[in-house]
Amino acid sequence: MASKQKKLQHLFLRAGFGETPEYINSIMEKSISSTVDELFKTSKDYEDITYLPYPIPQDAQMKGVGIGQILKMFLKSYQEKEDLNNEWMNRMSTTPAALREKMTFFWHNHFATSTPFAYLMQVQNNTLRKYALGNFGDLLHAVAKDPAMLLYLNNQQNKKAHPNENFAREVMELFTLGVGHYTENDVKESARAFTGWGLNNRGEFQFNEKQHDTGEKEFLGQKGDFDGDDILDIILSQQQTSVFITTKIYREFVNPDVDDKRVQELAEGFYKSGYDIDKLMRNIYTSDWFYDDENIGAKVCSPVELIVRYKKMINISCTNPKTILNLQKALGQVLFFPPNVAGWKGGNTWIDSSSLLLRLSIPQYVLRGEGMVIRVKPHPEEAPESKSQDANADKGIIYSDWSNLNTAFMNLPDDTQQETMLSYFIQCDTSRIDRTLIKMSWGNKSTDSLTLSMAAIMSLPEFQLI
Amino acid sequence: MDRRDFLRNSALASAAMMVPSFLKAFGIGRNDLYIPPTSTTGKRLVVIQLSGGNDGLNCVVPFRNDLYYKARPSLGLKDDEIIKITDEVALNSNMQGLADLFNNGNLAIVNSVGYPNPNRSHFRSMDIWQSASDENQYLYSGWIGRYLDATCDGTCAKPYAAIEIDDTLSLSLKGDNMKGLAFSRPNILHSSAQNPIIRGVANEYKSNSDHPEVEYLQKTLAETMESADYIYQHSTTFQSQRTYPNDAFGNRLKTIAELICSGCDSSVYYISLPGFDTHVGQKGQQNRVLKTMSDGISVFCQDLKDNNQFDNTVIMTFSEFGRRVAQNASGGTDHGTANNIYVIGGKLAKAGVYNPLPDLQNLDQGDLIFNTDFRQIYATMLENVLGINSEKVLGRKFELMNFV
Repeated sequence: MASKQKKLQHLFLRAGFGETPEYINSIMEKSISSTVDELFKTSKDYEDITYLPYPIPQDAQMKGVGIGQILKMFLKSYQEKEDLNNEWMNRMSTTPAALREKMTFFWHNHFATSTPFAYLMQVQNNTLRKYALGNFGDLLHAVAKDPAMLLYLNNQQNKKAHPNENFAREVMELFTLGVGHYTENDVKESARAFTGWGLNNRGEFQFNEKQHDTGEKEFLGQKGDFDGDDILDIILSQQQTSVFITTKIYREFVNPDVDDKRVQELAEGFYKSGYDIDKLMRNIYTSDWFYDDENIGAKVCSPVELIVRYKKMINISCTNPKTILNLQKALGQVLFFPPNVAGWKGGNTWIDSSSLLLRLSIPQYVLRGEGMVIRVKPHPEEAPESKSQDANADKGIIYSDWSNLNTAFMNLPDDTQQETMLSYFIQCDTSRIDRTLIKMSWGNKSTDSLTLSMAAIMSLPEFQLI
Repeated sequence: MDRRDFLRNSALASAAMMVPSFLKAFGIGRNDLYIPPTSTTGKRLVVIQLSGGNDGLNCVVPFRNDLYYKARPSLGLKDDEIIKITDEVALNSNMQGLADLFNNGNLAIVNSVGYPNPNRSHFRSMDIWQSASDENQYLYSGWIGRYLDATCDGTCAKPYAAIEIDDTLSLSLKGDNMKGLAFSRPNILHSSAQNPIIRGVANEYKSNSDHPEVEYLQKTLAETMESADYIYQHSTTFQSQRTYPNDAFGNRLKTIAELICSGCDSSVYYISLPGFDTHVGQKGQQNRVLKTMSDGISVFCQDLKDNNQFDNTVIMTFSEFGRRVAQNASGGTDHGTANNIYVIGGKLAKAGVYNPLPDLQNLDQGDLIFNTDFRQIYATMLENVLGINSEKVLGRKFELMNFV
C-alpha cells in the first residue's frame, strides 16, 4: 500500500499539476479528506483570463458591420493564440485554484476546438472554466452555443451544405453519447433542430429565427418540434451520456485501464446527481480505490502536465517564449491547437523515439541553461523562407531555480537521502532504477550534487509516469 | 569555477561526455547481431510530402487544353514557362530534373488521385493522407507505422526500419504498437543519445511485464538507443560525391543518400517539403519550391545511381490536396481536391504518364474529381515495394496499380 506521501503526490498530480516537496511536507499532518476539501475550497473562486482585449472597436458594432468583416477582426495572427497559450501555462503553474484549472484543461481536450480567432478561444476558455466544476448539462449547453465552437465545426467540415449536420454529429459522437448510440437519422434530424444557431455582429451567439426549421423532428425515439436546446436535453436524459463522460474522466484522472464496474457505479451516481461534476470528482478523490497501487504512476503525463510540473518544481522560464511553445509542439501538444475535434488521444501516443528522447533530455538542457534547439514543422500556411525554419531564432536562455528543492533535501541523513529524493519524484515502481546511475558523487551535501541528483532522477523514464 | 559553470559543465549537462567503457561494451556490441532488412523485396521506399497543397495543374500542364488557360488567364503557364514532355503534357519549367527523369523512363505521373468526399482543411486532409483513413474516420495511427506493426510476424521491425528526416515524427510513421524514428541528422541523434542517464537506462533494459507502463517506456528507449547506434554506424562510412542544393530539402535528401549508401537497411524514408500553400502570388512561390523539389530529387537520383542504389529505390511524392482549377483574385489558387502524384525509380514497371490528364470540363463545383484512390498508391507500394499484405495495413483491399 502506498505511503501517505505518495498518496498526496498522486492526488495533486491528478487533480492538479503536482506540488513541490516543500508543500507536500507542509500538509503531511492533515487527513487526505481535509486536503481534498481544501482543494475544492480554493477552486470555488476563479478569475477569467482577460489577456486579449476585445478586438472590435466600439463604432464598428454600431454601424451594423457584416459578419464577414467582424470575423476578419477576430482573425488574428498565430501570435495572439501563442500568447494566450503562454498566459494559460502561467496560470496553470501559479494559481491556487489548480483543481479548476486541471478540469478546464480536461474540458479543453474534450470539447476540442482550434480556430484562428484568438479572442474567441479566450472566450471559450473562460466558459470552460466557469462550468468546469459545475453541471455538465450547463457546460454542454454553453459550449454548444460557444462562438468558437460554432465556427470551428462549420469551418472544419468545409462542405458547401449542411454545416450543422457536422455539428450535430460531433456533439453526439465526441461530446456526449459516443459512436454506436445514435443513428444517421438522428444526426439528420438533430441537425434540423440546430438550424438558426449562429453569431451576431459582435461575435456572440445569436438565434436567427428566420433560419430555424420549426417542423417536427424524430430524435432518439422521441417526436416534437425540437430546437437545439431540446436536443441537448434529450441527449442528457440518456444514461449513456453519463457513462461516456464518466469513462473519459476515469481514463484521464484514475487509470487509462478502465475498471468497468467502478465506472458503472460512478456513472449512475453522476446521472442521478443531475450531472454534478463537483460531486463526481469529490467522489473520486475521496475513494480508497483512487489511491490503490495500480492507479498510482499509471499514466504517461501529457506534454502540458510535464512542462507545468517543471514550472512548479524549478520555476523554469525562458527569455524566448517561443522555446516553451516549440517544446509543446515537439512533444505533440499545443494548448488551443488540438489536432482535430477528437482531441489529443494521450497515453502511449505521446511516446515515440524522438519525443521520449526529448522528454528525458529536458533536465540536461535546463542545467546547461540554453534553450533547446527544436525545429518544428512549419505551419502549412507559412511561406518556405520564413524564419521558423531557423531553429536558432527560437533559442533563448533557460532559467531555473532549484533552491527550494535543495532546501527540502539538504539536511536528510546520508544513507536515506537518495531513496527519500526518489520518493518525491517517482510515483511508479522504482525497483528497476539503477541507483548507481543517479548517484552524483561530487560531495554528498553540496547543493550542486543535490541538483545533479534530482536532474538525474528527472531524466529517468519513470519520471514521465504520474 | 562558479556554481553556474559547474552545473553547466557537469557530466549530465555536457552532451559530449565520454561513455564509460563498461557501458560502451553493451551499447555497441548489440549491433553485431545481424538483423535482416524489413522489406522482403530488397527495395526501399522514399516518401516526399509536399506540405500546403501543391497545385498539380501548374506542375503537369495540359498545355493543349483551352479550359486550362480560360480558368487561369494570368496564372496559366505559357510556352516559355513549360517543358514539353509529350504531345499533350508539359512540366513546369522549374522541374527540369523531373523532366530528365521522365525522358529516361524513371518517372511515372499518376493523375487525379484523391478520395471520396474530399476535405479541404490542411490538417484534416493531411491526417487523412497520413493515416490512410476514410474521410469520416479519425485514426490515430499512420500507414507506415501500421506497416511496421504488420511486420511483426515473429521478429518485429526495428524503429529504424522507417526513418523520418526531421526533428519530430509525423503521424504517418506512428503505428498502433510500433513507431518509426525521427531525427534531422545522424550526428545530432548520436549526441543526444550520449546522455549518461539515458544511455545507462537503455543499456540495462531487460524485458519485464510486471509494470507495463514502465516497460513500454524502457523498451522504447532501448530500441531508440539501438537505432541511434545503428544509424550512426551506417551513416558515416559513405560520403556523397554529388553536390546537393544547399537548402534544408537538399540536405535531408543527402542524409538519406548517405544512410542508404552506408548500408542502412531501412525500408522507408520520409521527408517533408513545406511551402506549397499558394493562395497569393502563386507563380513566384510555387516556382521556387518546385525548383527546390526538382533539383534536390535530381541530384538524389544521380547519387543513388552512382552507387547502384537507384534500381532498388522507389520515390513517391504526395500533397494533402490539389488546388482549384480557376485562379483566385490574388494571383493564386485556393484549396482544392484531386491531384497528381510522382513515382520515381530506377526500375519502374510502367513509367510515363500513367493515366489521362484531369478532366477540366466536369468539375465538382470548380474542383477536380478524383478517379484513383490514394490508398491504391499506398497498396501498390506496400505490396510491390515493401512486400507486405496491404489489407493488413489499410484495413481493406485496394486495387493495385502497376507502375512498380
